[in-house]
Amino acid sequence: MSLFVQSLVLGILLGGLYALLAAGLTLYFGVMRVVMIAHSAFLILAAYLAWVFARETGLDPLFSMVATVPLFFVLGVAIQRLLIARLRPATLTMMSVLLTFSIALVIEGLLGYVFTGTQRRIQLPYGGADIEVAGVNVAVVKLIAFGLAALSLLALYLVLTRTRFGQALRATIQHPEAARLVGIDTERTAGYGFGIGLATAAVGGTALALDSTIYPSMHWHWIGPLMAIIVVGGLGSIPGAAIAAMLLGMGQALLQIPLSTTWAQTIFYVALFVTLMVRPQGFFGGRLAQRF
Amino acid sequence: MTVPTGLRLTALAVLSGLVLAACISGGDDPGTEGGDDTITIGISLPLTGDFAEPGKGVQQGYEAWAAYTNANGGLLGRNVELTILDDQSSADRVAADYEKLINDDGVDLVFGPFSTRLVIPAAQVAQDYGFLFVEPAGAAPEVFAQGFDNLFYAAPAVADDHYDHLADAIEAMPAAERPTTAAYAAMDDPFAMGTAYGLKARLEAMGVTTVADEVYPPNTTDFSSIAAKIANSDADIMVGGTQYQDAVNLILALQQLNYQPRMTAFSTAPTNPEFPQAIGDKTEGILSPTGYTPEAAYPSNQEFVEFYTEEYGTAPGEDQANAWTTGQVVAAAVEAVECAEPEPECQQQLIDWLRDNEVETVVGPLSWDAEGRPQGAHLIQQYVDGRIRIVLPADQAEAELILDKPVW
Repeated sequence: MSLFVQSLVLGILLGGLYALLAAGLTLYFGVMRVVMIAHSAFLILAAYLAWVFARETGLDPLFSMVATVPLFFVLGVAIQRLLIARLRPATLTMMSVLLTFSIALVIEGLLGYVFTGTQRRIQLPYGGADIEVAGVNVAVVKLIAFGLAALSLLALYLVLTRTRFGQALRATIQHPEAARLVGIDTERTAGYGFGIGLATAAVGGTALALDSTIYPSMHWHWIGPLMAIIVVGGLGSIPGAAIAAMLLGMGQALLQIPLSTTWAQTIFYVALFVTLMVRPQGFFGGRLAQRF
Repeated sequence: MTVPTGLRLTALAVLSGLVLAACISGGDDPGTEGGDDTITIGISLPLTGDFAEPGKGVQQGYEAWAAYTNANGGLLGRNVELTILDDQSSADRVAADYEKLINDDGVDLVFGPFSTRLVIPAAQVAQDYGFLFVEPAGAAPEVFAQGFDNLFYAAPAVADDHYDHLADAIEAMPAAERPTTAAYAAMDDPFAMGTAYGLKARLEAMGVTTVADEVYPPNTTDFSSIAAKIANSDADIMVGGTQYQDAVNLILALQQLNYQPRMTAFSTAPTNPEFPQAIGDKTEGILSPTGYTPEAAYPSNQEFVEFYTEEYGTAPGEDQANAWTTGQVVAAAVEAVECAEPEPECQQQLIDWLRDNEVETVVGPLSWDAEGRPQGAHLIQQYVDGRIRIVLPADQAEAELILDKPVW
């Protein structure tokens, strides 16, 4: 029983992290039909920047976000305006896979060149600390990562629903032509949307760095599960991605009890296949996937 | 375009003449190399490609050994000369390289390449020509399952035996004080699993109950669920068959669940200089097997470390040490039977001698079974007072083994 509750708690914490890491990915697709393979590479880049920051200044890596979040936003806008906007609309989705794949390789190569392939971990004074609640141990670092995820997703939700920019972004997601007719500059909105997506990668990467050993090629291990999450959640739907991330994270942690790690990991791909067979537009999202 | 028949015939004749001349001049090549005053040793190494990093380490070890041997009177009074080819980490090339070394270059002896994948095809070529084949890397079980009778692995132990000294120490404890339950977590990799399951077999034979046994794929990044199962089992001893990042992540995840084993051992990771930087001050009492450490007190090791550090400016690592060991093993056989010729009779004498004798090396005394498996075990190191020290076996110990691990 205690193992079940402990695993459930670990699953919820893991699901929260997955939700944050997948949020940006679904946003890119929603706004621009871009499959952003390099998203997880940017996560690792942010994690490395957090590690360098902590090593050089001795401060908590969380403070690195003061620099990385704006930096990644600007980088995102630049990538959209300078690279992705140049792809032909007819083949945008397919070509974006190739383009962002190459960006991922460039980031991985540069990380390896600058920091070498040595596996790094930020040593935190609270790295192994835990809070015990009713016989369940909750790691402090996981709680912080979960808190970051919850805050960022809430902020993202408020931006999208409560601001004029958010309305413009959602209009661009729902119907770009109609959005243009009512006077929205969809090109600029798309650029900012991409920037926001990449800014979530800065937050996600920092959260990841708190409780992971990082190395340049680590992003390949992340992109698969994250892609599965956004398809199950419905491409373009942030609440859908969050719900799917939570369910799959919990599923993975709980399946670990009766099954081995190898089989517990396949839950992402089983969920992906089932979704594509039964409900290709995703279980929680809108109708975007039908156009894919 | 038409070419007069006479011209064609002339061209053909000239061409045949050239081919013939090439054959003749190629034929007497071996005789010109490696005169009586030198012993040439042929080696193929992955100097580029996937295994370039360790390949270069092995090269440094071989070159340091040759320089040291020549500075100390050579082998049988003759100078040693290495012929090193680059196999680009390719299994096809490594076989062709050894063919060339033995046939065209007429080397007197061969040393092995790096990694299991390259050792097997290379050993096959050496076997076909009856050459002795001592290799510095290739510990996986399949290396010894090919039926080679010329192969010797120049390292202390195959993966399954890495923890033997620790198992002996636990067996020596009074039965009431031994751990009674054990948890295992191993990466799905022949080497990592071999280390953990080698100890598992020994502990189970002593009556230690296995209460958790987890195998995870190499791409696992989240270890919290595995840690939850191990913590829930509350095993007395926790054994990790690990590489690097998996051990670090698993240890942190176990600490986060406040699981406190009485003993814990992980392969590979704890001997990495990055390890204490990642784990912080909670390393005390963590055990790890190690194939080589410059601190080991074997007589020839001190000379090796001194010579190597002078040549290269840094202390040697495991790759360099295994290469040096290969040199020591072959040299011991050559000195004993007093021959170093490519002829099958001499090579067979070298093989037979190694089969029956023990060799003193920088990784300790080595002897082999019929398939070439070394019969030793790895040194056991432990974090004592914040530093990794040799604790087992007792005659090599730098610090006393901590049996009850402090809280982490």
